[in-house]
Amino acid sequence: MKIVKALLAAGAILALTLLPTRAVTPDDTLVMASQIDDVITLDPAEVFEFSAAEMVGNSYERLIGYDLDDVSDIFGVVAESWEVSEDGKTLTFTVRQGKTFASGNELTAEDVVFSLQRALKLDLSPAFILTQFGFTADNVEEKIVQTGDYEFTFEMDQAYAPTFVLYCLTSTVASVVDKDLVLEHEVDGDLGHEWLKRNHAGSGPFAIRQWRPNEAVVMERNEHYEPEVPLARVIYQHVPESSTQRLMLEQGDIDIARDLGPEELQALEQLDGIKIQSGVKGGLYYLGLNQKNEYLSKPEVRQALKYLVDYDAIADTIMEGLAEVHQSFLPTGLLGSVEDTPFSLDVERAKELLAEAGLAEGFSITMDTRNTSDITGMGEAIQQTFAQAGIDLQLIPGDGAQTLTKYRAREHDIYIGRWGPDYQDPHTNADTFAANPDNSDDAAAKPLAWRNAWDIPELTKKTQSAILETNTEERARVYEGLQREVMDRGPFVIMFQEIEVMAMQDNVNNFIIGPSFDSNEFGEASKD
Amino acid sequence: MTGTFERTQTLREWLTDNEPSSRTQARFGRAYLSWRSLSRNPLAMLGLIVVVGLILVAIFADQLATQSPFIGGDLRTERLQPPSAEHWLGTDSQARDIYSRLVHGSRLTLMIVVLVTVIAMPVGLLIGTVAGYAGGWLDSVLMRITDIFLAFPRLILALAFVAALGPGIENAIIAIAITAWPPYARIARAETLTIRNSDFIAAVRLQGASTPRIIARHIMPLCLPSVIVRVTLDMAGIILTAAGLGFLGLGAQPPMPEWGAMIASGRQYIIDYWWVATMPGIAIFVVSLGFNLLGDGLRDVLDPKAAR
Repeated sequence: MKIVKALLAAGAILALTLLPTRAVTPDDTLVMASQIDDVITLDPAEVFEFSAAEMVGNSYERLIGYDLDDVSDIFGVVAESWEVSEDGKTLTFTVRQGKTFASGNELTAEDVVFSLQRALKLDLSPAFILTQFGFTADNVEEKIVQTGDYEFTFEMDQAYAPTFVLYCLTSTVASVVDKDLVLEHEVDGDLGHEWLKRNHAGSGPFAIRQWRPNEAVVMERNEHYEPEVPLARVIYQHVPESSTQRLMLEQGDIDIARDLGPEELQALEQLDGIKIQSGVKGGLYYLGLNQKNEYLSKPEVRQALKYLVDYDAIADTIMEGLAEVHQSFLPTGLLGSVEDTPFSLDVERAKELLAEAGLAEGFSITMDTRNTSDITGMGEAIQQTFAQAGIDLQLIPGDGAQTLTKYRAREHDIYIGRWGPDYQDPHTNADTFAANPDNSDDAAAKPLAWRNAWDIPELTKKTQSAILETNTEERARVYEGLQREVMDRGPFVIMFQEIEVMAMQDNVNNFIIGPSFDSNEFGEASKD
Repeated sequence: MTGTFERTQTLREWLTDNEPSSRTQARFGRAYLSWRSLSRNPLAMLGLIVVVGLILVAIFADQLATQSPFIGGDLRTERLQPPSAEHWLGTDSQARDIYSRLVHGSRLTLMIVVLVTVIAMPVGLLIGTVAGYAGGWLDSVLMRITDIFLAFPRLILALAFVAALGPGIENAIIAIAITAWPPYARIARAETLTIRNSDFIAAVRLQGASTPRIIARHIMPLCLPSVIVRVTLDMAGIILTAAGLGFLGLGAQPPMPEWGAMIASGRQYIIDYWWVATMPGIAIFVVSLGFNLLGDGLRDVLDPKAAR
């Protein structure tokens, strides 16, 4: 009898496991499958990566914020108000009262001043956003000064356009950290950097509880945040394969899949209980044409290549739902962005231009291509259209680090890549696409124009004067001119603006996909 | 009248003559017997048919392909189409005809196999026979080098070489060849050791033949059969390594229709558009199996110890 019972039990267990079951995540927990292998630090003074920027964006507050639907509308977050001095060089900020960190400490001007000074003293990759205003690790204590419990001054070396300054203060590097908590963990004067890399000291809607590299990040509700946060927990699960993400979403193991391809999204769209949400991002896909190359340095060739990309077909197929055609260096949403798309596939026109350049027979050239599916897909499509005008384009595949290293050393012919703005002011892109202060090999600043060896002293001056223009309309006009000039003769074939798409369960509400990578917000998200 | 008599002798009788009247006849006779025993093995014949088929497809690729393997159709309408009368095996993500790409890809596969063999087999044979015949310190040095190469998993070593040389089909071939020769050297050495002290070698040496001549004219030919068997059995491995490198983006560069690279690019569509990755997968499977079956059959025929 015992054996019979055991067999029955085994049979029952087997039958249960074979039944199709649909997992469900808890009601107060949001689980996302995402590629979070880019996270190397969680310290806001250092974070410059896509995934980490989003996590920091949801767990820290910044001085200034902007309306996610209309980037031009800026408002104070930690700052309640600000005043610009007569000479335009000093800003006096009033800090909002009643904010509390996740640790329970109160947020005061002391924390804000400490955070800004800390970012400049540590001087890590994103610090350049603040050093633009003439701050250095040595002078910052005299330039950013606390003047009251809830007031401090911010003194710059020139009278920069106020919008430019404020947009820079919306970036991750201007996140406010909990001074007392961070200094408790200071080791050898590192301002708590080692500790903060893996921990959290912010006042945002969520607190980062745990980060296990290449595995998961767990965030929990900040109980002190006002208004109350609906979700108790948000979990990022590292799932590198997009097909796995899709299966997990279909089975209910996760609530949101973050890295799906167009074909997978199409298939998921048909399913009940799953919805697709997308938002236009600031990232641009472009080709960089190295001016050290004898062919690419000819203006007619640069022009011809702009007519040899089938923008519409790629946006409709390979990048369907993931990109839209955009040909100026300022993405839609930024001040002064030029929206028209003068270039389309025109093989005849391209052939004429090549003939003018004396290259009617075509030529052979290489393109460094990152071996991700989107970049390779675009690369192969471009290869085919280039071939129609006799240009033999050879793709050199490599991983992201390989191709980027070669690009940064400007040893490429053509580079196909993606550029994301660092903050929401047009200067962020103008400074890289339309400025090259020093074209020598050992230049200090190495913007995209430098990487493509485009020597443009005139344009650089124009770009640098634009940040001092205080009249916003006049400033927008300057940027429009810069974009037209780059479009016309620049060594960049700007093709698409990125769209971020997520597939999520129907019951997820109020997840906001913002225009930049640190503005995907789930502070108000809920499940029902 | 004997001449007439011999002419009326059928070709078969001439080949199977127990007392061949010339070296040529003896050689042809051996070959004929080998062929007879090979053709009695149906699996080996299947392998042979696959391999011959691959060679024919590679030769007549231009005639067999229905469309260009490089230039796709309209991205909007002809992308990721299922198998149909127009596209026999469907189209891929760049709207290219998969059948035509497979047909042209056979050239790459064959080229990789042939070039690797041409590079690796002589190297392995030479090192093995020299080491085996010379013995002493030369043997030790050559065999320790061989050991070092054998100590690495093959794909990993090939990966390291490609990473150092840069991606591309030529470099992939060189990398695979570098990793392929050590087993041949081992086999050739083992064979050499068994025959180096035989009487006929001693006789040749007494007649004043030099060491290079002995190795080249008397030892190598005797090592050749077992090395050929091993190479044929290895060809499947070579194809798989090449496909593996292509899959990792280190072999053939786009738009080359290399089968491994085709699988890699179809991977992301595998759930909804199964044919993109499956078709080249089947091609690799069939060709690898063909080489393996042929290799097995050849071993039965050529290996003197296994025979009868």
